[in-house]
Amino acid sequence: MKVVIADGYHEADYIINLFNDHKNDLVVINEDESICHYLSNNNDIPVMQGRCTRESDLKEAGAQDCDIFIALSEDDYKNYVACKTAKKLLNAKRCVATVINPKNVRIFKDIGIDMVVCSTYLLGEQIRNLTSIENMVNSLTLDDEKISILEIRVTEGLDVEGKTLADINISDLGTVSSITRNGKTIIPNGQSMIIEGDKVLIVTTMENKDKIIEIFKRKK
Amino acid sequence: MNNNTIIIGAGRMGSSIARSLNNRSNVMVIDKNGEKLSRLQDYSGFVEAGDATEIRILEKVGIREADRVIAVTDDDNINIFLADLCTKVYGIKEMYIKLKDSRKRKIVDERVVCICPFDLSLNFFEEEHRKEVAE
Repeated sequence: MKVVIADGYHEADYIINLFNDHKNDLVVINEDESICHYLSNNNDIPVMQGRCTRESDLKEAGAQDCDIFIALSEDDYKNYVACKTAKKLLNAKRCVATVINPKNVRIFKDIGIDMVVCSTYLLGEQIRNLTSIENMVNSLTLDDEKISILEIRVTEGLDVEGKTLADINISDLGTVSSITRNGKTIIPNGQSMIIEGDKVLIVTTMENKDKIIEIFKRKK
Repeated sequence: MNNNTIIIGAGRMGSSIARSLNNRSNVMVIDKNGEKLSRLQDYSGFVEAGDATEIRILEKVGIREADRVIAVTDDDNINIFLADLCTKVYGIKEMYIKLKDSRKRKIVDERVVCICPFDLSLNFFEEEHRKEVAE
């Protein structure tokens, strides 16, 4: 896989470390000379000094036809333009922009960046998950927030307790993939019964996520 | 018919365009730096101190009713972003941006008009030089 890492400091160092093996072809470009030396010495790879928003610099670094282009600068709009340049002029398959301002996550996605990552945004989502569903549910989103995986802990007094999956009948909303009971994993069918202490793993869509939580949270 | 123009950036170019359009359009000038707005001379249109990359500010100054937007901040990357935001999200048909680096024009949608001061100066020089040689 060809990965281009544009700008960034410690973030770039971390990502280089993750992908720096024989399976990947890494191209690293950074505007700051001292960071170029740091990244190059630390990871034993060539790092080109140049501007990631400039087509000629990116071409010189060999960034054409990459599988993933990752823009890590501290300037949201520089990352936006770098991703646009990579996509439009260098045939990048997928672009990732990091942003400081969480409000830019939605806007950048809406106007054409494949993936936008913001640590504050992620933190906010995590906290919202924790507080809104009272610690009962862990959730993970996949495929650009289209798929949601829920891990629901069944506590005493819930309506689902003692019912079979066929009774609960959420098949229109999602799929129960597994039930963890006393440390053992059960692959369930319609006759599997939910009991107190179970951890139920459900794959669903973002639209149906809240409906499923509602069903599982309902008290007797 | 309404004739609403939003100018983003009250530097020399933004101020001059604001003055030039003053009597022909309803003009709103936005700049992050309120001081720049207070120094605008010979201009009687609207002003707003704020960051135009924020949707809240754009909507406050009436982006939904705007007929044209002119993004002339000092940062090419912000101007390119604003062009995409205004045309793709708000459907602005008449969009102008300033680009210091004219090579970035290649990533801008062709319906957006790019004003490149460097290219304009060079073209002017070349034109003048051609006239001199011809004479």
